[in-house]
Amino acid sequence: MKKEIPLAITFISGFLLVLALFIPHKPFGNLEEIFNDWYIIVSGFTMLLGIDSLLEYNFKKIRRKEKDAPYSLVLILSFFITLIWGVTEIVRTPEHNPFSPTSTFSKYFYNSIFMPLQSTMFAILSFFIASAAYRAFRAKEFNSALLLVSAVIVMLGRIPLGQGAAPYVITVIFLVFAWYFYAESVGITETGTKLLYILVSVAFIALIYPIGWVYLKQHIPSFADWIMNVPQMAGKRGIMIGIALGGIAMSIRIILGIERTYMK
Amino acid sequence: MTEFFKKLAGIDRRIIYLTVFLATAIPILTKKTMKIEPLPEVKKAYEYIESLPESSIVMVSIDYDAASMPELQPMLETFLHHAFRKNLKVIMLGHWALGLPLGQQALEDIAKKYNKIYGIDYVFLGYRPGVAAVIINMGKDIKSVFSSDYKYTPIDSLPIMRSVKNYKDIKLLFGLEAGAVGDAWIQYGYARYNLPIILGTTAVMTPDYYPYIQANQVISVIGGLRGAADYETLVEIPGQASIGMLAQSVIHLVIIAFIIIGNIGFLVLRRAKK
Repeated sequence: MKKEIPLAITFISGFLLVLALFIPHKPFGNLEEIFNDWYIIVSGFTMLLGIDSLLEYNFKKIRRKEKDAPYSLVLILSFFITLIWGVTEIVRTPEHNPFSPTSTFSKYFYNSIFMPLQSTMFAILSFFIASAAYRAFRAKEFNSALLLVSAVIVMLGRIPLGQGAAPYVITVIFLVFAWYFYAESVGITETGTKLLYILVSVAFIALIYPIGWVYLKQHIPSFADWIMNVPQMAGKRGIMIGIALGGIAMSIRIILGIERTYMK
Repeated sequence: MTEFFKKLAGIDRRIIYLTVFLATAIPILTKKTMKIEPLPEVKKAYEYIESLPESSIVMVSIDYDAASMPELQPMLETFLHHAFRKNLKVIMLGHWALGLPLGQQALEDIAKKYNKIYGIDYVFLGYRPGVAAVIINMGKDIKSVFSSDYKYTPIDSLPIMRSVKNYKDIKLLFGLEAGAVGDAWIQYGYARYNLPIILGTTAVMTPDYYPYIQANQVISVIGGLRGAADYETLVEIPGQASIGMLAQSVIHLVIIAFIIIGNIGFLVLRRAKK
């Protein structure tokens, strides 16, 4: 029964909701609304479950005197101070709201402690992103070179200084590629391949002016838009359709009781 | 010589961090703004809001928190200026509980500047858990989800809410998105109830919403700090986003320079190995 009851609840709920969508009349018509109301209520209670789990985990750490127990103590103290003061403000303020104009502590706590802390955590990402971009964007093969050039064009196309900087950036990138293909051609003995490498190298030099100094100097924002609107969107749409199909398949498996991992 | 290129290919991350810090901090401290040509998506969003008749009711959804504040808060503030300047009526709610005070404080501050009255010109409904369930049920009847505002005032007693039953009475949803709530607004709000939507998104989320623009499932998307700066330019209220554009420009160029330097080192070393 431990397995059968949850499976039956899942099947009946899933089946009724699908039915409600196709039969918008009583008694099925307002089923979705009722189920959603229940969902909203249950969602509210899951927060209590989250609090319980968070506190239990951190109390355990303190009891065991683990290495990072002081952090757990800070968390627990912050939790109870915020909670007690929040409740006090609800009772104390005429609006019964911890963020009303008269609730000084909550506002102070939110604006001066919580907001800077959370913003700082996120701001640190910029350092990691810069470092990761430097290490990850390497022209190891054709595909990665293409990704690198596209990323540079989008980055340039989305900033006001992009149009001015684009010709110089493209000149440097194309010169690097031209040098690389020429250097590669030196060691090649087969005439056809050697010529091809030299041609590619010359092509990069020849394209610097028309692409960098004529086209991109004027059109880099629209070219960046094109990258976002065509190849990027095509890839994104493919992923989205894949996710949606996967979601449907998974939902059917859950409703029919084939997929049972949610019970573990 | 090889040692030099090895250094180029493997610059110490502390040097990168320091450069990023300086390239961001110095331009922000100068507080200089730049001339920007707004992106077509932002122009489209602006023109739609401009075309709304006076007293139209717009809904704002706060679906972000302090982590995404530098990008999304300027969008919210500019939108509120734009809306109140046009005498639109604003209903604010949110699906990110921790971000709601950001919306509430901006709403109260900006409404005061335009002498708008709570309950008549704007209302703050607050938060209900359940995202998709909340969006779906509001499409049938907003009162079924929010029977009162955040001050526990029954919404029937608020003049602004007397003419609003569901999304049919809302002329625009302006969603500020740092996560997946934007998808829920489109999949339920638009797809089921034809709710007109403009989304303000963080830069990292923006590409996710491009397919919805092309499919006309959203009116438009204002993406990242650049989108916020474009919107500020169009509304003619330069703010934090416009100030941030110089820093963003410089940091983009710095990252591009690092990428090029890293590749020069990498390609030379690869040649040397052969």
